[in-house]
Amino acid sequence: MAEVIHLNYHLLPIISRFGIHLGFGEKTIEQLCIEYDIDIHFLIVILNSYHDKNYFPRKHLQGFPLKLIIEYLRKSHEYYLQIKIPRIDQLLQQLSAHNEELSGDSLQLIDHFFREYKYELSEHIRREEEKVYPYIFTVEEAYQSGKPSDALVRRIREYSIDDYESEHDNVEDKLYDLQNIIIKYLPLPLDMNFCHTILMELFRLESDLNDHARIEDKVLVPKVRYMEKWINEHFTR
Amino acid sequence: MEYIHVLIADLSQLARMGLIGLLNQMKYPFHIREVSSPEKLTGLITHDLNGLLIISNSFIRKCTPGLIQNLQHRLNDTILILIRDSDHTPENDFDFAETIDLQDHDKTIIRKLEKQLSFLSRQKPLNDSPEGISDREKDVLRLVAIGLTNKEIAEKLFISSHTVITHRKNLTAKLGIKTIAGLTMYALINHLIIPEEIY
Repeated sequence: MAEVIHLNYHLLPIISRFGIHLGFGEKTIEQLCIEYDIDIHFLIVILNSYHDKNYFPRKHLQGFPLKLIIEYLRKSHEYYLQIKIPRIDQLLQQLSAHNEELSGDSLQLIDHFFREYKYELSEHIRREEEKVYPYIFTVEEAYQSGKPSDALVRRIREYSIDDYESEHDNVEDKLYDLQNIIIKYLPLPLDMNFCHTILMELFRLESDLNDHARIEDKVLVPKVRYMEKWINEHFTR
Repeated sequence: MEYIHVLIADLSQLARMGLIGLLNQMKYPFHIREVSSPEKLTGLITHDLNGLLIISNSFIRKCTPGLIQNLQHRLNDTILILIRDSDHTPENDFDFAETIDLQDHDKTIIRKLEKQLSFLSRQKPLNDSPEGISDREKDVLRLVAIGLTNKEIAEKLFISSHTVITHRKNLTAKLGIKTIAGLTMYALINHLIIPEEIY
């Protein structure tokens, strides 16, 4: 495992999402998976797909149980909300504190913008966890038992996973705007090194969110869509 | 309506208040801001301070060389007016368009300011933004930023909603900003709008 991290340190937050702590000595991935009760195939596929943007075994990923995939997505939500966002928040606060006299109102604007972004991201996540995931589990259960309730059949017809997916909010766009405004339009002279640090954090967050969205769009949604279609075809009355 | 931005940089509160009083007597759409110490100045000056910077001798004397250099780079579109309140001569540092003496009569000061303002409206180039946005796009940007819908913007500018959408697409492409909140922030940073305007 240590070799994997030396190869690509960006995978650190990923292994921590699976509950693996540092200090694992010479243990291999397999040993750690046994120790932490992790599905080794799933871990390896996720590590590889984060490591290499061109590697994305869609079919292979779709073969994993939904529970496993969603559990992983939940863990990454937790990472965004509890680690990443507070970290950026803290950096922005520090930037404001350092530049209290220098910055005038621009930093306040950035701060305000980030607060809005934070709110939208957490709303987005909340909606997924409270509405979308439970819905997915209901669909899966019905698919496996072959006995969907009438209510579910109706619901699929009225509001399917594609509707969830199409309700795309502008969370991603906001992050992009924030980066661009810091890169292009912030009045000088702020603490440049500090700005770089914040930008790096924002880019890391963006890239992580993209990987996350890729799993949702290419793995989760098609899988649910397939089950919905099956239920629809067999239980239209 | 386009605001004329006026930044008053003076250590003396009395001097600032006096100037603001005079400016308010003049019938211009001013957006006036004041700054009392050099440390607070930099953040207020962006690449697009299209207007007047009224700054005093003693204020400049307190500026660090780095700050002065920084200002020199960024005041291309700004008309500089000096308030002579001490013997320190900063004329070499900046290219002042006008000098106001503390002893000047109020009418003299207004006349001096008005003369500069007439230059301002005449010299205003059509495409003065570094991002190359046109005047029309700027109009649209301003209205988007304060929170109007496409339809409202179309009515206000007497153009079709379709044209508004085209302008917005161009703005997004030129600025690299996709969301309304982002455009608002851009407009505020560049003083195209003032916070009080936002719905």
